Amino acid sequence: MRKKPTRKRGDRYRLFRIVLLAGLLMTLALIFLVSTLGSQNFGPLHKLMLEAVGPLQRAVTMGSTYVETFKSEYIDILQDSLRLREENKRLIQQLQENENILNKSREAMATNASLRKLLEFKNSLDQQQVVAATIVGKDPSAMFRSVIIDRGSNSGLSKGNPVVNSDGVVGQVFAVTPNYAKVLLAIAPSSAIDVLLQKSRVRGILKGDGTLTYRLEYILKTAEVEEGDHVVTAGYGGIFPTGLQVGVVSKIIRKPRGMFHEIEVTPSVDYQKLENLLILQQPQFGEIKQMEQH
Amino acid sequence: MVVLHFIVVGLLLVILQTTLCMRTPVSFMAPDFYYVLVAYLALRLDMLRGLIVLLPLVCVLDVLSGTILGTYALLCFGGYFFLRQLAVKLPGNEILYHLPLISLSFLAVSWAVYLLLELLQPGQQAAWSWWKMLMRMLLVALCSYPLFLLFDVMQKYSQRSFLSWSRLRLRSDNRRRRT
Repeated sequence: MRKKPTRKRGDRYRLFRIVLLAGLLMTLALIFLVSTLGSQNFGPLHKLMLEAVGPLQRAVTMGSTYVETFKSEYIDILQDSLRLREENKRLIQQLQENENILNKSREAMATNASLRKLLEFKNSLDQQQVVAATIVGKDPSAMFRSVIIDRGSNSGLSKGNPVVNSDGVVGQVFAVTPNYAKVLLAIAPSSAIDVLLQKSRVRGILKGDGTLTYRLEYILKTAEVEEGDHVVTAGYGGIFPTGLQVGVVSKIIRKPRGMFHEIEVTPSVDYQKLENLLILQQPQFGEIKQMEQH
Repeated sequence: MVVLHFIVVGLLLVILQTTLCMRTPVSFMAPDFYYVLVAYLALRLDMLRGLIVLLPLVCVLDVLSGTILGTYALLCFGGYFFLRQLAVKLPGNEILYHLPLISLSFLAVSWAVYLLLELLQPGQQAAWSWWKMLMRMLLVALCSYPLFLLFDVMQKYSQRSFLSWSRLRLRSDNRRRRT
Protein backbone atom coordinates (compact mmCIF):
# COMPACT_ATOMS: atom_id res chain seq x y z
CA MET A 1 0.00 0.00 0.00
CA ARG A 2 2.92 2.32 0.67
CA LYS A 3 4.64 1.72 -2.65
CA LYS A 4 1.98 3.27 -4.89
CA PRO A 5 2.60 7.06 -4.23
CA THR A 6 6.38 6.59 -4.76
CA ARG A 7 5.78 5.05 -8.18
CA LYS A 8 3.40 7.85 -9.16
CA ARG A 9 5.93 10.46 -8.10
CA GLY A 10 8.71 8.75 -10.12
CA ASP A 11 6.55 8.68 -13.27
CA ARG A 12 5.73 12.31 -12.97
CA TYR A 13 9.38 13.18 -12.48
CA ARG A 14 10.39 11.21 -15.59
CA LEU A 15 7.70 12.90 -17.68
CA PHE A 16 8.89 16.26 -16.44
CA ARG A 17 12.47 15.46 -17.46
CA ILE A 18 11.41 14.37 -20.94
CA VAL A 19 9.29 17.47 -21.48
CA LEU A 20 12.15 19.62 -20.22
CA LEU A 21 14.65 17.95 -22.52
CA ALA A 22 12.33 18.17 -25.50
CA GLY A 23 11.66 21.82 -24.76
CA LEU A 24 15.37 22.49 -24.50
CA LEU A 25 16.10 20.70 -27.75
CA MET A 26 13.26 22.43 -29.54
CA THR A 27 14.47 25.78 -28.21
CA LEU A 28 18.00 25.05 -29.41
CA ALA A 29 16.68 23.91 -32.79
CA LEU A 30 14.60 27.04 -33.04
CA ILE A 31 17.56 29.21 -32.13
CA PHE A 32 19.74 27.34 -34.67
CA LEU A 33 17.09 27.61 -37.33
CA VAL A 34 16.41 31.28 -36.67
CA SER A 35 20.11 32.16 -36.48
CA THR A 36 20.91 30.14 -39.60
CA LEU A 37 18.04 31.40 -41.66
CA GLY A 38 18.53 34.87 -40.37
CA SER A 39 22.27 35.36 -40.77
CA GLN A 40 22.94 32.85 -43.56
CA ASN A 41 26.31 32.38 -41.93
CA PHE A 42 28.41 29.15 -42.01
CA GLY A 43 28.91 29.20 -38.30
CA PRO A 44 31.12 27.24 -35.93
CA LEU A 45 28.53 24.53 -35.47
CA HIS A 46 28.42 23.97 -39.16
CA LYS A 47 32.21 23.85 -39.28
CA LEU A 48 32.28 21.41 -36.42
CA MET A 49 29.73 19.24 -38.11
CA LEU A 50 31.65 19.31 -41.37
CA GLU A 51 34.90 18.48 -39.61
CA ALA A 52 33.21 15.57 -37.95
CA VAL A 53 31.42 14.26 -41.01
CA GLY A 54 34.16 15.08 -43.51
CA PRO A 55 36.48 12.17 -42.64
CA LEU A 56 33.58 9.76 -42.70
CA GLN A 57 32.51 11.09 -46.05
CA ARG A 58 36.07 10.91 -47.26
CA ALA A 59 36.41 7.35 -46.03
CA VAL A 60 33.20 6.29 -47.70
CA THR A 61 34.10 8.06 -50.93
CA MET A 62 37.56 6.58 -50.96
CA GLY A 63 36.12 3.19 -50.15
CA SER A 64 33.64 3.43 -52.97
CA THR A 65 36.37 4.65 -55.31
CA TYR A 66 38.55 1.75 -54.24
CA VAL A 67 35.66 -0.63 -54.76
CA GLU A 68 34.97 0.89 -58.14
CA THR A 69 38.64 0.71 -59.09
CA PHE A 70 38.79 -2.87 -57.87
CA LYS A 71 35.65 -3.63 -59.81
CA SER A 72 36.94 -2.00 -62.96
CA GLU A 73 40.38 -3.57 -62.61
CA TYR A 74 39.48 -7.05 -61.58
CA ILE A 75 35.82 -7.92 -61.77
CA ASP A 76 35.24 -6.16 -65.08
CA ILE A 77 38.45 -7.66 -66.41
CA LEU A 78 37.23 -11.04 -65.23
CA GLN A 79 33.91 -10.48 -66.87
CA ASP A 80 35.64 -9.17 -69.96
CA SER A 81 37.97 -12.12 -70.02
CA LEU A 82 35.03 -14.49 -69.70
CA ARG A 83 33.30 -12.65 -72.50
CA LEU A 84 36.51 -12.63 -74.53
CA ARG A 85 36.93 -16.31 -73.89
CA GLU A 86 33.48 -16.99 -75.22
CA GLU A 87 34.21 -14.70 -78.14
CA ASN A 88 37.53 -16.40 -78.72
CA LYS A 89 35.88 -19.80 -78.63
CA ARG A 90 33.26 -18.64 -81.10
CA LEU A 91 35.90 -17.13 -83.37
CA ILE A 92 38.07 -20.24 -83.24
CA GLN A 93 35.05 -22.34 -84.14
CA GLN A 94 34.24 -19.95 -86.95
CA LEU A 95 37.85 -20.09 -88.12
CA GLN A 96 37.81 -23.88 -88.08
CA GLU A 97 34.58 -23.91 -90.03
CA ASN A 98 36.04 -21.47 -92.53
CA GLU A 99 39.23 -23.49 -92.82
CA ASN A 100 37.15 -26.57 -93.36
CA ILE A 101 35.17 -24.85 -96.09
CA LEU A 102 38.41 -23.55 -97.59
CA ASN A 103 39.94 -27.03 -97.56
CA LYS A 104 36.82 -28.46 -99.13
CA SER A 105 36.82 -25.81 -101.82
CA ARG A 106 40.55 -26.34 -102.41
CA GLU A 107 39.93 -30.08 -102.68
CA ALA A 108 36.99 -29.45 -105.02
CA MET A 109 39.14 -27.15 -107.15
CA ALA A 110 41.95 -29.72 -107.30
CA THR A 111 39.50 -32.49 -108.19
CA ASN A 112 37.90 -30.23 -110.74
CA ALA A 113 41.27 -29.45 -112.34
CA SER A 114 42.20 -33.12 -112.38
CA LEU A 115 38.86 -34.16 -113.86
CA ARG A 116 38.98 -31.33 -116.40
CA LYS A 117 42.43 -32.52 -117.48
CA LEU A 118 41.09 -36.06 -117.71
CA LEU A 119 38.10 -34.90 -119.74
CA GLU A 120 40.32 -32.99 -122.15
CA PHE A 121 42.42 -36.12 -122.52
CA LYS A 122 39.29 -38.19 -123.05
CA ASN A 123 38.10 -35.82 -125.77
CA SER A 124 41.49 -36.04 -127.43
CA LEU A 125 41.13 -39.80 -127.85
CA ASP A 126 39.51 -40.18 -131.24
CA GLN A 127 36.39 -42.35 -131.11
CA GLN A 128 37.94 -44.50 -128.43
CA GLN A 129 35.35 -45.60 -125.88
CA VAL A 130 36.52 -44.81 -122.39
CA VAL A 131 35.23 -45.47 -118.92
CA ALA A 132 36.18 -43.23 -116.02
CA ALA A 133 36.98 -44.96 -112.74
CA THR A 134 38.24 -44.12 -109.29
CA ILE A 135 40.79 -46.05 -107.28
CA VAL A 136 39.17 -47.58 -104.21
CA GLY A 137 41.97 -49.77 -102.90
CA LYS A 138 45.69 -50.25 -103.17
CA ASP A 139 47.84 -53.32 -102.98
CA PRO A 140 49.51 -53.43 -99.56
CA SER A 141 52.03 -56.07 -100.56
CA ALA A 142 55.71 -55.28 -100.99
CA MET A 143 55.98 -57.70 -103.89
CA PHE A 144 53.16 -56.60 -106.21
CA ARG A 145 51.81 -53.35 -107.58
CA SER A 146 48.11 -53.21 -108.31
CA VAL A 147 45.03 -51.14 -107.48
CA ILE A 148 41.30 -51.81 -107.26
CA ILE A 149 38.95 -49.56 -109.24
CA ASP A 150 35.21 -49.01 -108.90
CA ARG A 151 34.22 -50.15 -112.39
CA GLY A 152 33.81 -53.66 -113.67
CA SER A 153 32.32 -55.76 -116.43
CA ASN A 154 28.95 -54.02 -115.98
CA SER A 155 30.62 -50.85 -117.28
CA GLY A 156 32.08 -52.75 -120.21
CA LEU A 157 35.52 -53.48 -118.81
CA SER A 158 37.36 -56.65 -119.70
CA LYS A 159 40.70 -58.20 -118.89
CA GLY A 160 43.56 -56.54 -120.73
CA ASN A 161 41.91 -53.11 -121.18
CA PRO A 162 44.51 -50.34 -121.10
CA VAL A 163 44.29 -47.98 -118.16
CA VAL A 164 45.48 -44.41 -118.59
CA ASN A 165 45.15 -40.97 -117.09
CA SER A 166 45.81 -37.52 -118.51
CA ASP A 167 49.57 -37.98 -118.04
CA GLY A 168 49.86 -41.28 -119.87
CA VAL A 169 49.76 -45.02 -119.41
CA VAL A 170 48.99 -46.36 -115.94
CA GLY A 171 48.57 -50.09 -116.53
CA GLN A 172 46.18 -52.78 -117.64
CA VAL A 173 43.03 -54.37 -116.28
CA PHE A 174 44.13 -57.63 -114.69
CA ALA A 175 40.93 -59.12 -113.27
CA VAL A 176 37.28 -58.07 -113.54
CA THR A 177 34.15 -58.59 -111.47
CA PRO A 178 30.75 -57.06 -112.31
CA ASN A 179 31.39 -53.85 -110.38
CA TYR A 180 35.10 -53.76 -109.64
CA ALA A 181 38.36 -54.50 -111.38
CA LYS A 182 41.97 -55.05 -110.43
CA VAL A 183 44.48 -53.00 -112.40
CA LEU A 184 48.05 -54.17 -112.82
CA LEU A 185 50.18 -51.03 -112.72
CA ALA A 186 52.84 -50.54 -115.37
CA ILE A 187 55.47 -50.34 -112.61
CA ALA A 188 54.63 -53.91 -111.51
CA PRO A 189 57.38 -56.39 -112.31
CA SER A 190 54.94 -58.63 -114.16
CA SER A 191 53.86 -55.80 -116.50
CA ALA A 192 55.26 -55.57 -120.03
CA ILE A 193 54.19 -53.01 -122.63
CA ASP A 194 55.25 -52.64 -126.25
CA VAL A 195 56.74 -49.17 -126.66
CA LEU A 196 58.59 -46.93 -129.10
CA LEU A 197 61.22 -44.31 -128.66
CA GLN A 198 59.32 -41.37 -130.14
CA LYS A 199 62.30 -39.76 -131.85
CA SER A 200 64.11 -42.74 -133.32
CA ARG A 201 61.02 -45.01 -133.63
CA VAL A 202 63.01 -47.86 -132.11
CA ARG A 203 60.82 -50.52 -130.53
CA GLY A 204 61.33 -52.01 -127.08
CA ILE A 205 59.57 -53.64 -124.16
CA LEU A 206 58.80 -51.54 -121.13
CA LYS A 207 58.88 -53.45 -117.85
CA GLY A 208 58.24 -52.39 -114.30
CA ASP A 209 60.53 -53.23 -111.42
CA GLY A 210 58.33 -52.43 -108.45
CA THR A 211 59.82 -48.98 -107.91
CA LEU A 212 58.84 -45.65 -109.43
CA THR A 213 60.82 -46.24 -112.63
CA TYR A 214 60.50 -48.49 -115.69
CA ARG A 215 63.11 -50.55 -117.44
CA LEU A 216 63.23 -50.34 -121.21
CA GLU A 217 64.47 -53.65 -122.59
CA TYR A 218 65.54 -55.04 -125.93
CA ILE A 219 66.86 -51.76 -127.36
CA LEU A 220 69.85 -52.67 -129.49
CA LYS A 221 73.14 -50.95 -128.85
CA THR A 222 73.14 -49.79 -132.42
CA ALA A 223 69.97 -47.76 -131.82
CA GLU A 224 70.22 -44.06 -131.09
CA VAL A 225 68.98 -43.31 -127.59
CA GLU A 226 69.44 -40.15 -125.59
CA GLU A 227 68.43 -39.08 -122.16
CA GLY A 228 65.22 -37.09 -122.39
CA ASP A 229 63.81 -39.13 -125.29
CA HIS A 230 60.08 -39.63 -125.00
CA VAL A 231 58.74 -43.17 -124.81
CA VAL A 232 55.26 -43.84 -126.23
CA THR A 233 53.11 -46.91 -126.73
CA ALA A 234 53.80 -48.81 -129.94
CA GLY A 235 50.29 -50.17 -130.39
CA TYR A 236 51.51 -53.42 -131.94
CA GLY A 237 49.53 -55.80 -129.80
CA GLY A 238 46.27 -53.97 -130.42
CA ILE A 239 45.80 -53.40 -126.72
CA PHE A 240 47.22 -49.91 -126.32
CA PRO A 241 46.57 -47.28 -128.97
CA THR A 242 49.69 -45.94 -130.64
CA GLY A 243 51.41 -42.86 -129.30
CA LEU A 244 50.21 -42.75 -125.71
CA GLN A 245 52.75 -41.08 -123.47
CA VAL A 246 54.62 -43.54 -121.21
CA GLY A 247 57.68 -41.74 -119.89
CA VAL A 248 61.03 -40.16 -120.54
CA VAL A 249 64.42 -41.85 -120.80
CA SER A 250 66.25 -40.82 -117.65
CA LYS A 251 69.34 -43.04 -117.58
CA ILE A 252 71.25 -45.12 -120.12
CA ILE A 253 73.77 -47.67 -118.91
CA ARG A 254 76.06 -48.61 -121.74
CA LYS A 255 77.75 -51.89 -120.88
CA PRO A 256 80.62 -53.27 -122.96
CA ARG A 257 79.04 -56.70 -123.02
CA GLY A 258 75.66 -57.78 -124.33
CA MET A 259 73.51 -56.74 -127.26
CA PHE A 260 71.14 -54.35 -125.56
CA HIS A 261 71.19 -51.09 -123.69
CA GLU A 262 70.05 -50.91 -120.10
CA ILE A 263 67.65 -48.00 -120.07
CA GLU A 264 65.79 -46.47 -117.17
CA VAL A 265 62.59 -44.59 -117.93
CA THR A 266 60.88 -42.11 -115.62
CA PRO A 267 57.10 -42.56 -115.82
CA SER A 268 55.04 -39.67 -117.14
CA VAL A 269 52.39 -40.68 -114.62
CA ASP A 270 52.82 -39.68 -111.01
CA TYR A 271 52.02 -42.93 -109.23
CA GLN A 272 52.00 -41.20 -105.88
CA LYS A 273 49.00 -39.11 -106.91
CA LEU A 274 46.88 -41.63 -108.75
CA GLU A 275 43.20 -41.02 -108.16
CA ASN A 276 41.00 -40.98 -111.26
CA LEU A 277 41.65 -43.24 -114.22
CA LEU A 278 40.33 -43.83 -117.69
CA ILE A 279 39.92 -47.33 -119.04
CA LEU A 280 40.12 -47.59 -122.80
CA GLN A 281 37.71 -50.13 -124.14
CA GLN A 282 39.04 -52.24 -126.94
CA PRO A 283 36.96 -51.93 -130.13
CA GLN A 284 36.87 -55.70 -130.51
CA PHE A 285 35.13 -56.07 -127.18
CA GLY A 286 32.04 -54.16 -128.32
CA GLU A 287 31.88 -56.06 -131.58
CA ILE A 288 32.12 -59.41 -129.80
CA LYS A 289 29.35 -58.36 -127.46
CA GLN A 290 27.15 -57.34 -130.39
CA MET A 291 27.82 -60.64 -132.11
CA GLU A 292 26.92 -62.50 -128.94
CA GLN A 293 23.63 -60.63 -128.74
CA HIS A 294 22.73 -61.50 -132.35
CA MET B 1 30.57 -66.23 -82.21
CA VAL B 2 34.31 -65.79 -81.63
CA VAL B 3 34.94 -67.04 -85.14
CA LEU B 4 32.43 -64.64 -86.64
CA HIS B 5 33.85 -61.70 -84.71
CA PHE B 6 37.39 -62.49 -85.78
CA ILE B 7 36.34 -62.89 -89.41
CA VAL B 8 34.65 -59.47 -89.34
CA VAL B 9 37.63 -57.85 -87.61
CA GLY B 10 40.01 -59.52 -90.07
CA LEU B 11 38.06 -58.13 -93.02
CA LEU B 12 37.99 -54.67 -91.46
CA LEU B 13 41.73 -54.77 -90.87
CA VAL B 14 42.40 -55.80 -94.46
CA ILE B 15 40.15 -53.02 -95.76
CA LEU B 16 41.86 -50.53 -93.47
CA GLN B 17 45.25 -51.70 -94.67
CA THR B 18 44.35 -51.45 -98.36
CA THR B 19 42.67 -48.05 -98.15
CA LEU B 20 43.60 -45.66 -95.35
CA CYS B 21 47.04 -47.09 -94.61
CA MET B 22 48.10 -47.12 -98.26
CA ARG B 23 48.51 -43.48 -99.18
CA THR B 24 50.10 -44.32 -102.55
CA PRO B 25 50.32 -47.55 -104.56
CA VAL B 26 54.05 -47.75 -103.81
CA SER B 27 53.85 -46.94 -100.12
CA PHE B 28 55.66 -49.49 -97.98
CA MET B 29 54.82 -48.05 -94.58
CA ALA B 30 51.48 -49.84 -94.43
CA PRO B 31 51.33 -52.02 -91.31
CA ASP B 32 50.50 -55.67 -92.02
CA PHE B 33 47.55 -55.95 -89.65
CA TYR B 34 46.54 -59.27 -91.14
CA TYR B 35 49.73 -60.90 -89.92
CA VAL B 36 49.08 -59.75 -86.36
CA LEU B 37 45.69 -61.44 -86.58
CA VAL B 38 47.34 -64.57 -87.97
CA ALA B 39 49.74 -64.51 -85.02
CA TYR B 40 46.89 -64.04 -82.55
CA LEU B 41 44.96 -66.94 -84.03
CA ALA B 42 48.06 -69.13 -83.84
CA LEU B 43 48.93 -68.19 -80.28
CA ARG B 44 45.57 -67.73 -78.56
CA LEU B 45 42.90 -69.72 -80.40
CA ASP B 46 42.50 -73.41 -81.02
CA MET B 47 43.44 -74.74 -84.43
CA LEU B 48 39.94 -75.37 -85.76
CA ARG B 49 38.65 -71.89 -85.07
CA GLY B 50 41.93 -70.36 -86.20
CA LEU B 51 41.77 -72.07 -89.57
CA ILE B 52 38.09 -71.16 -90.04
CA VAL B 53 38.98 -67.49 -89.51
CA LEU B 54 42.04 -67.71 -91.74
CA LEU B 55 40.24 -69.06 -94.80
CA PRO B 56 38.11 -65.97 -95.64
CA LEU B 57 40.95 -63.68 -94.59
CA VAL B 58 43.36 -65.34 -97.02
CA CYS B 59 40.75 -65.24 -99.76
CA VAL B 60 40.09 -61.51 -99.33
CA LEU B 61 43.80 -60.73 -99.24
CA ASP B 62 44.42 -62.66 -102.43
CA VAL B 63 41.55 -60.83 -104.12
CA LEU B 64 42.60 -57.34 -103.06
CA SER B 65 46.32 -57.73 -103.40
CA GLY B 66 48.88 -59.27 -105.66
CA THR B 67 48.85 -60.87 -109.06
CA ILE B 68 49.75 -64.42 -108.07
CA LEU B 69 46.80 -66.10 -106.39
CA GLY B 70 47.75 -68.11 -103.35
CA THR B 71 50.57 -65.83 -102.22
CA TYR B 72 48.68 -64.81 -99.12
CA ALA B 73 47.57 -68.37 -98.48
CA LEU B 74 51.26 -69.30 -98.31
CA LEU B 75 52.05 -66.30 -96.12
CA CYS B 76 49.18 -66.72 -93.69
CA PHE B 77 49.14 -70.49 -93.34
CA GLY B 78 52.94 -70.58 -93.30
CA GLY B 79 53.04 -67.98 -90.54
CA TYR B 80 50.22 -69.67 -88.66
CA PHE B 81 51.78 -73.12 -88.48
CA PHE B 82 55.27 -71.73 -87.92
CA LEU B 83 54.05 -69.72 -84.93
CA ARG B 84 51.99 -72.60 -83.55
CA GLN B 85 55.04 -74.85 -83.62
CA LEU B 86 57.20 -72.27 -81.90
CA ALA B 87 54.57 -71.25 -79.35
CA VAL B 88 54.60 -74.76 -77.81
CA LYS B 89 58.22 -74.27 -76.80
CA LEU B 90 57.72 -70.81 -75.33
CA PRO B 91 57.78 -70.55 -71.52
CA GLY B 92 55.15 -67.81 -71.16
CA ASN B 93 51.97 -66.77 -72.83
CA GLU B 94 52.49 -63.04 -72.39
CA ILE B 95 52.28 -60.80 -75.43
CA LEU B 96 55.63 -59.17 -74.65
CA TYR B 97 57.35 -62.56 -75.00
CA HIS B 98 55.64 -63.01 -78.33
CA LEU B 99 56.46 -59.65 -79.93
CA PRO B 100 59.93 -60.55 -81.25
CA LEU B 101 58.67 -63.96 -82.29
CA ILE B 102 55.79 -62.48 -84.31
CA SER B 103 57.91 -59.87 -86.07
CA LEU B 104 60.76 -62.26 -86.84
CA SER B 105 58.36 -64.91 -88.09
CA PHE B 106 56.80 -62.28 -90.39
CA LEU B 107 60.19 -61.55 -91.89
CA ALA B 108 61.12 -65.23 -92.18
CA VAL B 109 57.84 -66.30 -93.76
CA SER B 110 57.85 -63.33 -96.18
CA TRP B 111 61.39 -64.18 -97.20
CA ALA B 112 60.53 -67.86 -97.68
CA VAL B 113 57.45 -67.01 -99.78
CA TYR B 114 59.47 -64.56 -101.85
CA LEU B 115 62.11 -67.21 -102.55
CA LEU B 116 59.48 -69.77 -103.45
CA LEU B 117 57.69 -67.39 -105.84
CA GLU B 118 61.00 -66.35 -107.34
CA LEU B 119 61.72 -70.01 -107.96
CA LEU B 120 58.31 -70.84 -109.40
CA GLN B 121 57.52 -67.60 -111.25
CA PRO B 122 60.71 -65.60 -111.63
CA GLY B 123 60.50 -61.87 -112.32
CA GLN B 124 56.86 -61.57 -111.31
CA GLN B 125 57.43 -59.73 -108.07
CA ALA B 126 59.36 -56.69 -106.94
CA ALA B 127 62.93 -57.26 -105.82
CA TRP B 128 63.40 -58.08 -102.13
CA SER B 129 64.47 -55.05 -100.16
CA TRP B 130 65.83 -55.80 -96.70
CA TRP B 131 65.46 -52.34 -95.27
CA LYS B 132 61.85 -52.03 -96.47
CA MET B 133 61.00 -55.43 -95.06
CA LEU B 134 62.75 -54.59 -91.79
CA MET B 135 60.62 -51.45 -91.57
CA ARG B 136 57.50 -53.53 -92.14
CA MET B 137 58.67 -56.00 -89.53
CA LEU B 138 59.06 -53.13 -87.10
CA LEU B 139 55.55 -51.95 -87.93
CA VAL B 140 54.20 -55.43 -87.26
CA ALA B 141 55.97 -55.41 -83.88
CA LEU B 142 54.53 -51.98 -83.06
CA CYS B 143 51.01 -52.95 -84.02
CA SER B 144 51.08 -56.31 -82.28
CA TYR B 145 50.76 -55.12 -78.69
CA PRO B 146 47.68 -52.88 -79.09
CA LEU B 147 46.03 -55.29 -81.49
CA PHE B 148 46.60 -58.25 -79.18
CA LEU B 149 44.98 -56.28 -76.35
CA LEU B 150 42.08 -55.45 -78.63
CA PHE B 151 41.70 -59.07 -79.71
CA ASP B 152 41.84 -60.22 -76.07
CA VAL B 153 39.01 -57.85 -75.15
CA MET B 154 37.08 -58.91 -78.19
CA GLN B 155 37.50 -62.58 -77.39
CA LYS B 156 36.37 -62.03 -73.81
CA TYR B 157 33.35 -60.11 -75.03
CA SER B 158 32.53 -62.76 -77.64
CA GLN B 159 32.58 -65.52 -75.05
CA ARG B 160 30.14 -63.59 -72.86
CA SER B 161 27.67 -63.01 -75.63
CA PHE B 162 24.28 -64.64 -75.57
CA LEU B 163 24.94 -66.84 -78.54
CA SER B 164 27.97 -68.60 -77.10
CA TRP B 165 28.44 -72.25 -77.95
CA SER B 166 28.14 -73.32 -74.33
CA ARG B 167 24.62 -71.93 -74.12
CA LEU B 168 23.52 -73.35 -77.41
CA ARG B 169 24.81 -76.81 -76.46
CA LEU B 170 22.10 -79.36 -75.88
CA ARG B 171 22.12 -80.86 -72.40
CA SER B 172 20.88 -84.26 -71.40
CA ASP B 173 17.93 -84.52 -69.00
CA ASN B 174 20.00 -86.06 -66.25
CA ARG B 175 22.43 -83.31 -65.41
CA ARG B 176 23.90 -85.08 -62.41
CA ARG B 177 25.00 -88.07 -64.42
CA ARG B 178 28.68 -88.03 -65.14
CA THR B 179 29.71 -89.17 -68.55
